[in-house]
Amino acid sequence: MKRRPFIAMLVLVAMVLGLASAQTLRYFSWETNIPEETAALIAEFEAMHPGVSIDFEALPPDQYWPRMSAMAAANNLPDVFYMSSGFIFEWQANGLLANLQSYVDGIDLADYFSGVLATTRFPSPETGDVHAVPINWVGPVLYYNQDAFDEAGLAYPNDDWTWDDFLAAATALTVDKTGNGRIDQWGYWVYGRYAQVEPWIYQNGGRILNEARTRLEVDDAARETLQFLSDLVNVHEVAPRPQEMEGIRQQDVFPLGLAAMWVDGSWNISNNRSIIGDQFTWNIAMIPSGPSSETRIGYTWPDMLAIASGSEHEEIAWKFVEFMTGPGRPAETFLGGTVPFYRPTAESEAWLEPGLQPADKGVVLQLGGLPTRTSFTPNWSEWRGYGAAEGGGMNGELDLVFNGRKALDQAIETFVEYGNQVLSRSYPEP
Amino acid sequence: MRYAKFTPFLFILPMLVGLLVFRLIPIGFSFGISFTSWNIFSPPRWIGFDNYRTLLQSPAFWEVARNTVVFALVFVPVVMGLGLSLALLVNQKLRGSTFFRGVFFMPYITSIVAVALAWKWILATRFGLLNNALMDWFGVQHPPSWLGDPRYALFAVAFVLAWQSAGFQMLLFLAGLQNIDESLKEAAMIDGASRGQVFRFITLPLLSPITFFVLIISLIASSQTFEVTYALTGGGPQRASTTLAFYIYQNAFVHFQMGFASSLAYTLLLFVGGLTLVNFVLRRRWVHYG
Repeated sequence: MKRRPFIAMLVLVAMVLGLASAQTLRYFSWETNIPEETAALIAEFEAMHPGVSIDFEALPPDQYWPRMSAMAAANNLPDVFYMSSGFIFEWQANGLLANLQSYVDGIDLADYFSGVLATTRFPSPETGDVHAVPINWVGPVLYYNQDAFDEAGLAYPNDDWTWDDFLAAATALTVDKTGNGRIDQWGYWVYGRYAQVEPWIYQNGGRILNEARTRLEVDDAARETLQFLSDLVNVHEVAPRPQEMEGIRQQDVFPLGLAAMWVDGSWNISNNRSIIGDQFTWNIAMIPSGPSSETRIGYTWPDMLAIASGSEHEEIAWKFVEFMTGPGRPAETFLGGTVPFYRPTAESEAWLEPGLQPADKGVVLQLGGLPTRTSFTPNWSEWRGYGAAEGGGMNGELDLVFNGRKALDQAIETFVEYGNQVLSRSYPEP
Repeated sequence: MRYAKFTPFLFILPMLVGLLVFRLIPIGFSFGISFTSWNIFSPPRWIGFDNYRTLLQSPAFWEVARNTVVFALVFVPVVMGLGLSLALLVNQKLRGSTFFRGVFFMPYITSIVAVALAWKWILATRFGLLNNALMDWFGVQHPPSWLGDPRYALFAVAFVLAWQSAGFQMLLFLAGLQNIDESLKEAAMIDGASRGQVFRFITLPLLSPITFFVLIISLIASSQTFEVTYALTGGGPQRASTTLAFYIYQNAFVHFQMGFASSLAYTLLLFVGGLTLVNFVLRRRWVHYG
């Protein structure tokens, strides 16, 4: 009889010890569209690491950032969480992300698209320490409606295309099919969005930031590019004014057949597939280089996994990050044109999907091998005009130009002044 | 029945705690925050009146302030006019007036996001119902971009909000109309007053306390406009349809400039408070109680 309390105590001690050795990692992501795949990955990781359990929550992006910011303010961040290129700078600058350099030193980067690591380095994109690991990366490409090209008797875009070739094609593709005086198919579709403007600037060797990335500085090549884009709408009239497409989701203009060419991020492959189905044949190509271009530049940026600085489970959190970004993650978890960070997965048939549109999906991979240029800074979304602030900043000013309401020089002057006010909060005048 | 002095407070405690925690304390807290620079992630830094100075010197603020005033100038008369007209209509003793009261009130209890999405569809440039009607029936070759053109966007937002909330103003006016003693109107009629004169000299003055109330809540509603802007235009193009409440949201929850956003919020409070005060002073001139 006297043994009972003793056994009970043993059980209790064992439970306490068990609890102490069990580790629960909190993991947050914004990928709400692959719940089964994520659950399977988590189960696999838990099976590989007995005693570790993952407490997972996914929120759509518009709810994700307010929630994460509130958790950061309350010093209650999850151990592992998704991080975007547009926000990582602020998070690094505020010391919220664990320094992962020593861990990354232990992996063979030859198997990875290591160029996109630039975005994860802090303070300098070239020499700083890595503070997050890419899961996948994306970059803008030129989408084109192959059927429309065939109808117009045009050759498809290729790597040697110049701006003149592009303009000639766009002109031929701008058609009033019903003869009612209204254009039914535009040659091209563009508005002030970062993924539609910056790739052209970079392919013309241009920059919109100074070398130190502390101020906006629109160089001549960038001005030349903005003039070219503005002329497509206002002079050559081969692209609609953005206000004409008001009421249509911007990413639906091309798949609805309203424009025969379009430049935007590779992730749109997924939306194109679901809207176009087999209504027409489309493909992707590299964005044409401009007259001032000396070398091809890849405008690519990653979605990443980060570990909260001060996480009590940093070691196991790293193992989880390594697992979620490495060979263990199947190609099916990367939707459309988001490219796996782990190169062999990206180069596998499962990712390239031969037989599905676009036929040349491998074009996206070419971007990963090019020198990278981006314009992400602290408060990027504010001066660029992105997300819930899309109407403002550089985006808003460029839309005024595309809508024929403002001269380009004036618009540049305004967004540079505004952008530099925003940047001066992070980089005060010396 | 006897009870301790604090017993009633016990009953209102849940309500009181909610009010304190979710309203009053944050309101006080944000006043303090308006004197700091705070990006949420790092601790707030005291900067005195810098936020207020920045906003007064910022062209964006003045543009947004002007939008807020224009919005109020459009929204308030339209919503009150609509509300009063609808109330006069459904106050007629006609068959089906109860049904129409319900119909006119419906938009008010419909989710504003759903309303905005429906209107976005109606006002869309290319495939919108309105523009297609203009093109097909009236031969307009290039109809305007109601939400994409900075000249129209703010008015479009004001109109949609007025359409959505007119049902509520109608209900308030209707209550006022039904409180008016019929014998007064009959007496005026017997004295030879026309229907227009009855409305002008009997109905309107007797309705004035309700009109005053509707005016104040419409002004406050116009200064709080957020959801409809968010769903219809996102404040664009550029800042053309951004009003103060939306600007506060952008600065606080998109740019995470809590200090600056709080200073904007207190500026808005001053603006609405000032307007309400003016209205209360002017009330004596046109509001008649009993």
